[in-house]
Amino acid sequence: MFDLLVNAIPLAVVASIPLLLAVEGELVVQRGGIINLGIEGMMLTAAMTAVVAAQATKSVIAGFAGGIAGAAAIAALFGLFAIVLRADQIVTGTAINLLAAGGTSFVYREVQMFTREIPPLRTDAVLPLAWIAVPIVLGVVLWNSSFGLRLRACGENPEALAATGRSVRTHRWAALMIEALLVGLAGAYLSLALSSGFAENMTAGRGFIALSIVIFGRWKLKGALLGTAIFGLAAAMQYALQAANRGIPFHLLLALPYVVTLLILCGVAGRVRAPQGLGVRQR
Amino acid sequence: MRRVLVAVIAAVAAVLLLAFSGALFGHSPIALLAILIRGSIGSRFALEGTLLKSVPLLLTGLSVVIAFRAGVWNIGGEGQFIVGALAALAAARFGVIASLAAAILAGAAWASIASLMRLWRNAPEVLTTILLNFTAIHLLGWCVNGPLRERAAQYPQTDLAAAALPVVGGVHAGTLIALAASVFAWWMLYRTVEGLRLRATGLNPNAARWAGIPVRSQIVRAMAISGGAAGLAGGIELLGVTHRLFERFAAGYGYSGIAVALLAQLHPLATIASAAFFGALVTGAGELQRTADISAGVATFGQAVVILVLIVFEHVRSSR
Amino acid sequence: MIHLAHVTKTFGATRAVDDVSLEVRPGEIVGLVGENGAGKTTLMRIAAGEIAADAGTLEREGRAELVHQHFMLVDALTIAENLALTHRGFRFTTRRMIEREAQQIIDGSGIELRDAARRVAELSVGERSKLELIKAIARKPATLILDEPTSVLTPTESEELFRVMRRLSAEGTAVVFISHKLPEVLAVAERIVVMRGGRVVVESATSETNAQVLADAMVGSPVSRFPGIPVAGQLGNRATGQPGRGEITAIVGVAGNGQAELAARLRDELPDAGHIPEDRTRDGVIAEMTIAENLALKTKRWSPRDAARHAERMIALYSIRAEGPLQRAGDLSGGNQQKVVLARELEWIKSPSSALRAPSPRRRGEGLSTGTSRVPLSPRAGRGWREAPGEGLHLIAAEPARGLDIEATRFVHEQLRAAATAGASILLITSDLDEAFELADAIQVIYRGQLSEPMTPAEASQRVASLMAGVA
Repeated sequence: MFDLLVNAIPLAVVASIPLLLAVEGELVVQRGGIINLGIEGMMLTAAMTAVVAAQATKSVIAGFAGGIAGAAAIAALFGLFAIVLRADQIVTGTAINLLAAGGTSFVYREVQMFTREIPPLRTDAVLPLAWIAVPIVLGVVLWNSSFGLRLRACGENPEALAATGRSVRTHRWAALMIEALLVGLAGAYLSLALSSGFAENMTAGRGFIALSIVIFGRWKLKGALLGTAIFGLAAAMQYALQAANRGIPFHLLLALPYVVTLLILCGVAGRVRAPQGLGVRQR
Repeated sequence: MRRVLVAVIAAVAAVLLLAFSGALFGHSPIALLAILIRGSIGSRFALEGTLLKSVPLLLTGLSVVIAFRAGVWNIGGEGQFIVGALAALAAARFGVIASLAAAILAGAAWASIASLMRLWRNAPEVLTTILLNFTAIHLLGWCVNGPLRERAAQYPQTDLAAAALPVVGGVHAGTLIALAASVFAWWMLYRTVEGLRLRATGLNPNAARWAGIPVRSQIVRAMAISGGAAGLAGGIELLGVTHRLFERFAAGYGYSGIAVALLAQLHPLATIASAAFFGALVTGAGELQRTADISAGVATFGQAVVILVLIVFEHVRSSR
Repeated sequence: MIHLAHVTKTFGATRAVDDVSLEVRPGEIVGLVGENGAGKTTLMRIAAGEIAADAGTLEREGRAELVHQHFMLVDALTIAENLALTHRGFRFTTRRMIEREAQQIIDGSGIELRDAARRVAELSVGERSKLELIKAIARKPATLILDEPTSVLTPTESEELFRVMRRLSAEGTAVVFISHKLPEVLAVAERIVVMRGGRVVVESATSETNAQVLADAMVGSPVSRFPGIPVAGQLGNRATGQPGRGEITAIVGVAGNGQAELAARLRDELPDAGHIPEDRTRDGVIAEMTIAENLALKTKRWSPRDAARHAERMIALYSIRAEGPLQRAGDLSGGNQQKVVLARELEWIKSPSSALRAPSPRRRGEGLSTGTSRVPLSPRAGRGWREAPGEGLHLIAAEPARGLDIEATRFVHEQLRAAATAGASILLITSDLDEAFELADAIQVIYRGQLSEPMTPAEASQRVASLMAGVA
């Protein structure tokens, strides 16, 4: 078992890149006081728009840009409802997920580009970006900048920030756009690099797993990295166990990531100190 | 009256938006609308299909109504549906009643995993119920490919269930059960003190606690009832329609329940009309896929549009 | 300098501010007094520019800073970080940088607040109040408006505040001191303005008026003190501090010393007792439900018709000003919402289905009487409490008359007294000393989560001030 574990590490680190980027993005947004349940739909949309863009332009960079654009469109929609209309964030997020699930299937079928080739990604930059560069930059932005301070105030007590004359909405929009950038990258990487194109519901719950890891990590970056590492390893073990043919039924192995995530959520025992204003609808 | 108007506008808006989305890709919106209508209510066959689809939607919709009314985010209808069907299959040899009872209990138990995790470990049920959905889907996959696979071992599906719902006047008895459940849910919510307390817990859990309502156990009870309804939906779908289990058995009924519940403005009796609408939408979308090669995912898209339109209306109303 | 002329502001059907003209000159300290709902806060919000008046003019030189009653602080952040929230744009910061800047701000304000690295969550209520003040002063306003600043301060802290106010006034800042506590206003203000029902009724230099005149003006009729009502029913056990049958024990203290936690703990430990929460709008009534539904929350059986009939009876009995049993509880005024809560809880402890009745054979329909057996409730003593009130409590009422006008207050007190006379043992948690001395048979002081020994009102009147301030 131990050798399986060790051999699974490289796979884990690469395969969890979309998840990690999503965790990082959601962390920023939740620190600002918003729960984006629609992150699943955002990633799925990005996966689709990335593939369409790459197929249409035959450029993988354009593909990544397309993914980010798709995520940004979803973020704009989510922000319109959750921030501007002050709607319930859970209901909005659920609607976004349904919209993306149905919409991506619909659009991808209409666009009819699945016969075209997807240009391969010829760089290794994404791995250190996700695991090293983004955490460092986010850490500085969130904890060592005036913007980050104000954003965290939005997540704890938005009235306090509003009382100083600053706009809570603007800060939350900024956080949402940062998330769109990261989740757009995540979705694009998923469909362009880790898979060979778009498939219906290909995100398979990664968005929800990302939400769980944010909670597990107690809304801190170190916890996020740790949680993703643990999960990624468990998920990679799934493939390793399959390959090693240890007699565990294939379908039950497919369920493993979700069971592991449930256990992760169990590990958050007692009082979880979420940002106090998280998910609270502004009056 | 105003609430009915809002619901109707939301439904119509969704359908229109669907048709015009098709226009973006070169289809004629009028033609799409025609296919939708014809495919859902345009013939006896279509109507039967709509009715068949509306029954599970009614029950999963009720499941969400009860949960949301109690302030609990039960997004796990999909998984509870599947688990209910599995239990119904296992208990089918004991007859229809035992089978459906097993379905209800199984759905309640599956939902209770999430509510107990919330109680003991503060795990947000909005996430745990979704994760349990994925788990149930793969559990089903294992069952139909493995231990429960049909004897012929040709397709990934089970053998026929040992029991089946009787057909009454052209529709399977599950239809009547679902309608009865709707009335029962209304009675429970509005004519019993348990329902009063459940609604109070959902509206203001703090005040409910101060008024002496045991909020924590109230939530567990509400989740169990909610899960039971979704489980029942799965059992009825098995015993009345498909008669066997296979992958993709749930086909989104659980998630659709959310749109059904919201369009019905969380009222148990209005859920009947709402389920009928979404049943028609799903059936019509199936026809769209057959005739116009448009992904049946537009039905899910339509659900989302309905929800979003409803949100806009709520905003307009509350900002007056 | 602020000059308000013929200002009017209406909220819905209520005229919160009615044709008010007021001037505040540089360097003067003005006391703005009045009962709850007199319009003081609304008027000052207009003066500060937070809300717009419906009619009238506002002239203002320089900025006006309004320090609210409710804190606008972020608990999870430190003092320094809270002070840094006003920074614009994007710049890199370090912890040390922010703390240094914060210390400069604190020193510049002249108010003492140590260790800016502490989280606001760890601060006492008085310190939070000081932080709010520092935030306001740091903006260097021409006018500083303080809304009920002493409601959460100990006498010592209030003195400190008055020194700061005098210093600011000497430096040329105009200070408006909103309060309903006359002795304080008389001590520090040069000019006093009394508001009632949205209008200015009295305006006078402090030297030319006195407390009685001002109090009469605030209330509109000569104020009389309620005579203490003699104790009825058996007295409780002095040593353990358990209220006896028919006794009211008051727990007094400055807000923020553990009252909310005590009330919540008692709510969880004594599910069979009646509870009246401090915040009636948030925790008392369910705004979206009807009066009838709210009243029925504790019943065993429910039918809409019976509930409506019961609600009608309660509306009459408790003089609740409502359109009918089916009116949304959220539409009622605060005082009437409190009456709904009161009706529900008091009827509960009188009802035969309340578990508080001893299981001994007794005629149905008999409310709380002078029966001999007392059903013991959860006897567990909490951590840190000197004596745990708990056994035998029938009703726990937290700030039951807060924010109510005189008539409603009188009503609430009468109801509590009546319940005690009928045999209920009541725990009253209040920050209003008048209320406590008026109602209680025994008084305990709560300070930083600890309870003092129970005292008779006579003993308490000597010691309560020092106990509340934490002076042994």
